[in-house]
Order: sequence, then C-alpha cells, then structure tokens
Amino acid sequence: MITLDRHFVIVPNDYNEAGKASSELKRTLKRMGFSRDLIKRVSVASYEAEINIVIHSLGGTADFKIIDDVIYLQFIDCGPGIPDIELAMQEGFSTANEVSRLNGFGAGMGLKNIKKAADDMILVSDCNGTVLKLKFYIREDDKNVG
Amino acid sequence: MKLSQIVHKFGCTVYTKDLYDPEKTIDFAFCSDLMSDALMIMSTVKDGETLRDSVLITGLTTNQSIRTAEMLDVEVVLLVRGKIPAEPVIELARESGIVLLGTNLTMFNVSGLMYQEGIQGISLHK
Ligand SMILES: Nc1ncnc2c1ncn2[C@@H]1O[C@H](COP(=O)(O)OP(=O)(O)OP(=O)(O)O)[C@@H](O)[C@H]1O
Ligand SMILES: [Mg+2]
Repeated sequence: MITLDRHFVIVPNDYNEAGKASSELKRTLKRMGFSRDLIKRVSVASYEAEINIVIHSLGGTADFKIIDDVIYLQFIDCGPGIPDIELAMQEGFSTANEVSRLNGFGAGMGLKNIKKAADDMILVSDCNGTVLKLKFYIREDDKNVG
Repeated sequence: MKLSQIVHKFGCTVYTKDLYDPEKTIDFAFCSDLMSDALMIMSTVKDGETLRDSVLITGLTTNQSIRTAEMLDVEVVLLVRGKIPAEPVIELARESGIVLLGTNLTMFNVSGLMYQEGIQGISLHK
C-alpha cells in the first residue's frame, strides 16, 4: 500500500529554499509516528541530497514514497553529473564553490553521510544528470512511536 | 547548564522569545560552520535525548543552520561573534521550533566557557 507520495522541484542555487523539501518530509514522517532514529536517518540523507542538487546541479526533483514498510527517496537532476563517483564518495572530496561554502556546505561529507544513513543507495550519473535512489526499511519498532 | 544560565553568562540575545524555556537543560554541544560536519557527527549519536539537550554553535546565520538543527532534532542554535540573523531566518527558526540565540563571544571562547561549565562535546560514535 502507498502511504506517502510527494514530489518536489529543487531550484539550483536557491539557498533560502534549500532544505524545504526535506523539512516537509521530516514533518510528515513525524506525523506518521515513526521512530526518531528512523526519521533522523531519512531526513539527514534527504537534506544532504537536496543540498547537493542546489549547490552542484542545474536543478532537479525529489520524490518521496512509502510503499508498505519501505521509504523510497529519489533525487534526479539535469546535470552536469558526477565524473568520478568513487572519488566523489570519498570523505573530504568536494568541488563546492565559495558561495556554497559560505552557506555552510562543501565539506565533502554529504554522499558519505547519505550512504551511512540509508539501508540501500544507488547513485547513477553521466553528463545528462545524476540519479540518487535511497531505501530505508521501516522496522516493527520504528512504527507508532511518536 | 540551564538555558537561562547560558543566556545570562554569555550575554545572549534570544531571537525566538516565544520558544525560550529558561529551564531547558543543555549538556552537550558541537560547533562548526560546515553543516555537513554537524550532520555527519551529530547523526551518529544514538540516544535521541542527547541531541535534544544539545546546542549547535555556529557562525552561519543562514537558513541552513536552522534546517540542520531541525534535521538532527537539535533544539538550540547559538550564533557567535555578534552575527545578527535576518528576519526570515528568525521566522524559520520559530516555525521549526528551534531556539535561536546569539552571543558576541567568539566560537572558541564561548565553547571554552561552556566546556568549563561541564558541557560535553559531541564526537563521532562508531
Ligand atoms: N547532484 C550532483 N551533481 C553534480 N555533482 C555532484 C552532485 N552531488 C555531488 N556531486 C559531486 O560530488 C562531490 C561530493 O559530494 P558530497 O555531498 O559528498 O560533498 P559536498 O557536497 O561537496 O560537501 P558537503 O556535502 O559536505 O557539504 C561534490 O563536491 C560534487 O563534486
Ligand atoms: Mg553535499
């Protein structure tokens, strides 16, 4: 059964709006009564992914779905893509510019953090764009806590 | 430390008056201007109570420090070096339930003083 299905457009370089989709996701998950730990992992990963689209891409979308006991997050952007995913996954590697650093990002920690938070992660990228798919399993003790 | 002690001792401005609870206790802190560092380190804390009793100390006055606190369930953000947040940032803090404080002290000095008061730093939990 589908219990959540939301779609957001993520605008590049808009630092004021950045994080709004993840914030709404977090509030929705809270209302749905999941455990703090699960909500935190999902929102931290979502926020990092959303910020990546804002600071590194030409813009994109975020889709949040819950089907049965799995939370799916999908982020798609319009490029320029990640030339070397292995390198990008390394802690500390960042191509973030001065403006994003002034806005608190560019430590090169985001992707690593996302990988740690999610139960499953698929990252596919070429010059046309990047697709990030994340999966979080809802365990019995994650339900009806809040 | 009680929030009221923090405000008093470090001469803090309280930007979100309606959310301010002088009796709230703060036992832990983390400081950074890089939000991914905060997200990485603080999200490794397993005990949810710890984060709720934490303060995020930062020089970053934008929406992103508020959003970061929100994602982590951290309820207090302390801005250092007399930086004044813009009205929309205060508004976002209010809307997100984040207590936003500001002090004229530098990041190092306010952190050191808090440490002396027994506030513990948050470090990476493996
Ligand atoms: N959606 C994307 N489009 C293009 N490049 C990306 C995208 N996401 C990540 N990257 C590339 O991968 C690098 C590493 O990303 P990661 O999120 O780990 O760190 P960061 O965004 O640079 O800094 P931080 O996340 O710590 O603020 C980025 O610097 C960028 O070069
Ligand atoms: Mg990033």
